[in-house]
Amino acid sequence: MRHAWHITAKELLQNRRDGLAALFTLVLPVIFTVFLGIIFGGIESSTLPLAIADADGSAAAQQLVQQLEESPLLELEVAEPGDIDKDVRDQKVAGGLVIPAGFGAALDEGRPISLTYIRVETSSGAQSVWQAVEVVVSRSNARLLAARAAAEQVSIKTGRPLDDALLASAASVTDAQLAAPAITVEMTDSGSSSATMAAGFDQSSSGSMVNWVLFSLLGIAAGVVWERRRGLLQRLSIAGVKGREIVGGKMLAMVIITFLQQLLLVLVGQLVFGVDYFNSPLALLLTMVSLSMLAASFGLLISAVFRSEQAVIATTVISAQLLAALGGAWFPLEITGASFSRAAHFLPSAWVMDSLHGIILRDWGLTRVLYPMGIVWIWIAALFVLAVWRFRPD
Amino acid sequence: MEAIVVEGLRKQFDPPKGPVAVDTVSFQIGEGEIFSLLGPNGAGKTTTISILSCLLRPDGGDARVGGFSVTREPEKVKALIGVVPQDIALYEDMSGRENLLFWGRMYGMSGAALNKRVDEVLELIGLVDRQKDRVDKYSGGMKRRVNIGAALLHNPRFLYFDEPTVGIDPQSRRSILDGVKDLNASGVTVLYTTHYMEEAQELSHRIGIMDKGAMIATGTQDELVRLVGERTRIDLTLDREAETLAARWRELPGVSSVSAPDDGSMWLSVQDANVLMPKLFDGARAVGARIIEISLAEPNLEMVFLHLTGRALRD
Ligand SMILES: Nc1ncnc2c1ncn2[C@@H]1O[C@H](COP(=O)(O)OP(=O)(O)OP(=O)(O)O)[C@@H](O)[C@H]1O
Ligand SMILES: [Mg+2]
Repeated sequence: MRHAWHITAKELLQNRRDGLAALFTLVLPVIFTVFLGIIFGGIESSTLPLAIADADGSAAAQQLVQQLEESPLLELEVAEPGDIDKDVRDQKVAGGLVIPAGFGAALDEGRPISLTYIRVETSSGAQSVWQAVEVVVSRSNARLLAARAAAEQVSIKTGRPLDDALLASAASVTDAQLAAPAITVEMTDSGSSSATMAAGFDQSSSGSMVNWVLFSLLGIAAGVVWERRRGLLQRLSIAGVKGREIVGGKMLAMVIITFLQQLLLVLVGQLVFGVDYFNSPLALLLTMVSLSMLAASFGLLISAVFRSEQAVIATTVISAQLLAALGGAWFPLEITGASFSRAAHFLPSAWVMDSLHGIILRDWGLTRVLYPMGIVWIWIAALFVLAVWRFRPD
Repeated sequence: MEAIVVEGLRKQFDPPKGPVAVDTVSFQIGEGEIFSLLGPNGAGKTTTISILSCLLRPDGGDARVGGFSVTREPEKVKALIGVVPQDIALYEDMSGRENLLFWGRMYGMSGAALNKRVDEVLELIGLVDRQKDRVDKYSGGMKRRVNIGAALLHNPRFLYFDEPTVGIDPQSRRSILDGVKDLNASGVTVLYTTHYMEEAQELSHRIGIMDKGAMIATGTQDELVRLVGERTRIDLTLDREAETLAARWRELPGVSSVSAPDDGSMWLSVQDANVLMPKLFDGARAVGARIIEISLAEPNLEMVFLHLTGRALRD
């Protein structure tokens, strides 16, 4: 097996010299991670711009503005009452809200008053903004109603006059009550793996990693075919080097190279994009090594089965793309149906993605990734044995 | 003592319809000999070498190299041989020295002994100055020399050279031919393939002539030349293209064969040169050509090939 080490060393030397290989293994994957992260990130961080004009300026009006500001769905842009129509029409904002003069006074006197909401009918965001505004306004209404009802009860029961001071103190009591509401809706994970969906850089970083490591299939397989055509494998065979030593040596080199590639993507993901890879270093290490072994053994099998360069390129490109796409590297499998996802889990790449998402999103430790990685290792063993069995120098 | 014994080798590619590349070929090579396989393109030379290198399994027959069977004891055979492949088999993105170090390691060498041996081989192939340059920066001749060097590292007892001088300048060719002779002088048994008659003549103790997968004659150069019978060779040069004249001369009584004219130069294999020469001059005058150079010589291997196959060695 000494030969295998020397073959590994030779492969690493050749890779160090190859500028194109560096571009494909290191530079492009990082660029794609950033690119895809922005695409997936756009879905997650969508907030709707709302133009707001306060023609009243009372304390009550300011309080409403503040409540709207607290809505996670809205992004407020303060405007002059006269400009709002134009801003909405130009689609600078998804909708506009005008607080009319006399808003505060009407509330104080218990008179109903209406706000003006301006929208363009065809704008897709306008309806969402409307709903978000409604939520805030009805919460305000409920609060005012509760405070007034409470104050009136106190006034009737104690004979205390219904003045500003009483209303203010009732309002502060209802505020305190609403801060700890009787009914809340809480979101928790159901425990199934599809509870939290990866989005943004969580998806793009882990997906890129799987995608680009699988892409290295091409390099591995094409390299073997090239050496075969140039008579280098025959020369190795004449020198007495065994097929399993050639396959093993090349495999180790590819595992080292793709592991370094993954390490770079993990570091960029963790340090630049805040993807939480370092939850469990051991689980991460096992997943990375498994992914590298998977790609290398698959590439070597393809090069052992096919002779012509075209056949090898076609097979590697198609299978790498399928493994990546169907395994969930291009889009999270959670957005597909359950039966699609189940079918995709026939592929080892889906288990690798599961493991990565588990580590990033759900704090999976080493024991938790053993099951998915066990399945991946069954694939690795089968692919490696087949590759050695089918390998011929000529 | 016979170092290599080949008995009834047969190899067909892609049976049943593929070409029979080697068809029941037998020959022997004595210890310390240079044996050349001479034959045109597609004769089966490389296929024979591949079988003797244990790369291809023959469909029939067997060969023993240093007493070991290529079919039953390939590991033992591989340990004894060094092979210079017809196509350059080197890692072009590595330097000449890195290639030699790598191939040395594949032969189980390491450390100071390997380094020393690589230095020696670089000296031998005359590449000490350029050893640190990448192979893809080398000339064709330099690549050929590294290709040879990689087969010498482990001091094999048997060396196979498969057309090592194809496509290189006369100077590199000279140094390769001299190198083969030096290696042989130091005790290495050599199997050499070529389609250049001159190389086979210069190098070989014995020669095997192959054509279309078959071994059509083996022997020393003298033995082979005697196959043509008691004949003389007439070399001549005409002042013009000579296709029609060659065809006319072929018809003359006493002419056994005429080579295909090459730039007005040709040779004839004849029974009695003195009787025939006046007729040649007459024939030339009849078509308005002039013989500008003429000489008599011993028969050569080209004549042997033509005699045996009816075709020229180089087509
Ligand atoms: N791998 C192969 N598959 C199919 N046919 C082959 C293969 N290798 C050689 N042949 C055929 O076998 C015959 C002998 O080829 P071989 O390479 O042994 O000839 P050669 O004497 O070495 O010729 P050259 O001087 O051109 O190198 C040819 O007809 C060739 O086309
Ligand atoms: Mg050949």
